[in-house]
Amino acid sequence: MAEISFSNLSKNYGSIEVLRNINLYIKDGEFIVLVGPSGCGKSTLLRLIAGLETITGGEISIGSQIVNDLEPRDRDLSMIFQSYALYPHMDVARNMGFSLEIRKENKDKRQSLVAKAAKTLGLEDYLDRLPKALSGGQRQRVAMGRAIVRKPRAFLFDEPLSNLDAALRIGMRFEIAKLHQKLGATMIYVTHDQVEAMTLADRIVVMNAGEIEQVGTPIDLYEQPQTLFVAKFIGSPSMNIVPASQSDDGIELPGGKTVKPGGWSKNLNPVQLGFRPEHLSLVEIGKADCTGKAIVTEHLGSDTFVYVDVKGWDPVIVRQRGNSNIQSGTELGISFDTSRLYMFAKDGKTIRGTDT
Amino acid sequence: MEGQTIKSANNTVLGRNSPRLSPHRKTSMFSAKMRSVFEPWLYLSPAIILLVLVMFLPLVIGFTYSFQHYSLFRPNDITWAGFANFEQLWSDWKFWKALKNTVWWTFGSVSIQFILGLGLALLLNRTFPARRLIQALVFLPWAVPTFLSGLTWAWLFNPVIGPLPKILYAVGLTDSAYESILADPAIAMWGPITANVWFGIPFFAITLLAALQSIPKDLYEAAAMDGASAWQGFTKITLPFLAPMIAITVMLRTIWIANFPDFIYTMTKGGPANSTEIVATYIFTTAFRRLDFGYASAVAMVLLLLLLAYAFILLNMRRIQAKG
Ligand SMILES: Nc1ncnc2c1ncn2[C@@H]1O[C@H](COP(=O)(O)OP(=O)(O)OP(=O)(O)O)[C@@H](O)[C@H]1O
Ligand SMILES: [Mg+2]
Repeated sequence: MAEISFSNLSKNYGSIEVLRNINLYIKDGEFIVLVGPSGCGKSTLLRLIAGLETITGGEISIGSQIVNDLEPRDRDLSMIFQSYALYPHMDVARNMGFSLEIRKENKDKRQSLVAKAAKTLGLEDYLDRLPKALSGGQRQRVAMGRAIVRKPRAFLFDEPLSNLDAALRIGMRFEIAKLHQKLGATMIYVTHDQVEAMTLADRIVVMNAGEIEQVGTPIDLYEQPQTLFVAKFIGSPSMNIVPASQSDDGIELPGGKTVKPGGWSKNLNPVQLGFRPEHLSLVEIGKADCTGKAIVTEHLGSDTFVYVDVKGWDPVIVRQRGNSNIQSGTELGISFDTSRLYMFAKDGKTIRGTDT
Repeated sequence: MEGQTIKSANNTVLGRNSPRLSPHRKTSMFSAKMRSVFEPWLYLSPAIILLVLVMFLPLVIGFTYSFQHYSLFRPNDITWAGFANFEQLWSDWKFWKALKNTVWWTFGSVSIQFILGLGLALLLNRTFPARRLIQALVFLPWAVPTFLSGLTWAWLFNPVIGPLPKILYAVGLTDSAYESILADPAIAMWGPITANVWFGIPFFAITLLAALQSIPKDLYEAAAMDGASAWQGFTKITLPFLAPMIAITVMLRTIWIANFPDFIYTMTKGGPANSTEIVATYIFTTAFRRLDFGYASAVAMVLLLLLLAYAFILLNMRRIQAKG
C-alpha cells in the first residue's frame, strides 16, 4: 500500500517528447484511471511507474521513496499487461505463484496463497493447465491472479479488459471493483472504455498529447470539464460542439433566436458552444430554441439517440429516454437546458460564467 | 529414420489423393483401389530412387564391406570374413584410443562451442550500433573452406612463425614462447579443438539467436514485475524457451563433429603418437592410406551404431522431459 506522486515528470525517446510536465499525487488506496486518445502516453506513464522505462526528467516517488533509479523488481508493484504476458511454459498455478517462487517462499505457503487467489478468481479447476489451454477470459483472470497472490504496494493495469467480449468485460469490471474494495490497494488503470473509467475511478486523469489535461472525479469531469478536449472526451456519445457567435443578448442560434448560458455576460467572447445529448430536449417547433431535421435514430432500448441536422451546424445528437419513434426527415424542435451549456474560448479553455 | 520420413510423407499424399480418385470408383473398384495404393508411390519414386542411390546403397555396400577381407593391396583376395574385422577391432588399441579421443574431441568442441555460441547469441540479441553488420561478420567462419581454416590454424600454432605460442606464453599458459603445442601428445588435441570452436560458434549463435528472438519481450517485463533478477529471467524464461533448440542443435553438432575429420587431418594428421587420432580420421587413414576397406568399414559401422544410440537416448530424454 502506498501513495504515488510525480513531479515534473517527462519522458523523451531521442528527440521525441512523449510525456512532459506531469504532476500528480495519488493517495494511498486510490483508484486512478488514465484515459486519453491513442498515443497520448498512457502506457508510457504506466511503464515509467513500473520502471520498465527510464524517466528522462522529474521525479517519481512511491511511498516516501524516490524510485527514479530503482529496478522494476525492487519497486514492489504488480502489473497486468494488455497481452497478459503469461509464461506459456508454466501451468496456471506456477504462473500465479511465480513471484513467490522468485522470493523463495516455501512450497506450502506458495500453494496456499495461490489457492486463495484462485478461489477469489474462480480458477480452482484450471490450476494445472497451461495458458494455451485457457480462454481469453480465463487468461485474463490468471494475469490478475498473478498480481494478487502477493501484496504489492500498487497495482498497474494497462487496458486489461480490452481483449474480452462485452459480457466478460462487464463481469471483470465488477471483479476489479470488488478487488479494489477488498484489498484497498492503490490502483492505476489505463483504459479506452468510458464506462470502465467512469465506474471504477475515484479520480480520472485525462491525458492529451503527453500532458495531463485535467484530473478529477468522474462527475467533476463530466460536469465541469476545464477544456474543450475534456468536454469532448468524457461522455458517450460525446458533447455536441457548435460554433458560437455572440450578439448583445446571448449566443445566436440558427433560425434567429438566442440563448444565454448560465453566468452569461457580454465580454466572454466564446467561440464554441457545447451541450450534452442528454441535456437537450425535443419540443414543439413553436417553443423550440432552434429546429432541424432528424437524419438517423439509433435505438439502444433504454435510450434513443436522434441525429438532428441543424442548418449551419454539424449533426447534433439528442438523447431521448426510452424508445422514441421518430421518422427520419421529421422536423424537430430542440430546446436547451441553459444551465448545462458550456462555452469555450479560442484557446480551448472552458469559459466560466460570472456566477457559476 | 529415412524409412520413417518416407512413410509419413506417403501417408499425407495418400490422404490428399483419395477424394480426387472417387470418379474412378464407378468403372472398377479394384483398379481404383490399386491406383490409390500405387499412385502415391509413383509420385514419390524419383525421391525414393535418389535416396536409395545416395544413402542406402553406400550404407549397404559399407555394411557388406565390413564383413569382408577387402584390401586394395590384395585385390584378388577379397573374401567373406564373418566377424573377423570386428574381432580385430575389439583388440585394436588404436581403435580404443581413437574412440576415447573422439569423445574428448566431440564433447570438448561441442560444449565450448555451445557456451560461447550461446553467449554470442545473447550479446547479438541486444540492440547496439552496427548490429546487422556485426551479425553478418560473426557468421564469416562458415564461409571459409575448412581445409583452408585448418591450415591457417596450423600456421597460427606453429612454434616458429605462429603468433599463438607467443601469446600463450605471454599470458602465462605455457613455459616457452616456442612451445610446439600440436607436437605435444598431452595437449595437441587443443589445437584442432580450438579451430573447431572458432568454426562452430556461428552455428550455435545463429540458431540460438533465432530462438531468442522468438521469445516475447513482455515475458521478461512480467518477470521483472514479479521480482525476477536478470539471472532468474535467464534461467526461468530464456532457458526453457531455448531448450528444444538446444537439444536439437547439440545433437546435430555432436554427430557432425564426431564425424568431422577435416581439422584434425589438416592440423595434426592424428599425431603425435595417435594422441589426436579420432575414429573419423582413423577410418580415413585405414581406408585411404592402408587401403583396407573391409576394416575401415567395420570401424565405420561401429561409429554409426554409437551415434545412433546417442541420438536415440537424447531424443528419448527430450521426449520424457517434454511430457513431464
Ligand atoms: N520506444 C519508443 N520510441 C519512440 N517513440 C515511442 C516509443 N514507445 C512509444 N513511443 C511513442 O510514445 C507515444 C505514447 O505511446 P503510448 O504507448 O504511451 O501511448 P498510449 O497512450 O498507451 O496509446 P494507446 O492508447 O494506443 O495504447 C506514442 O506516440 C508512441 O509513438
Ligand atoms: Mg497503450
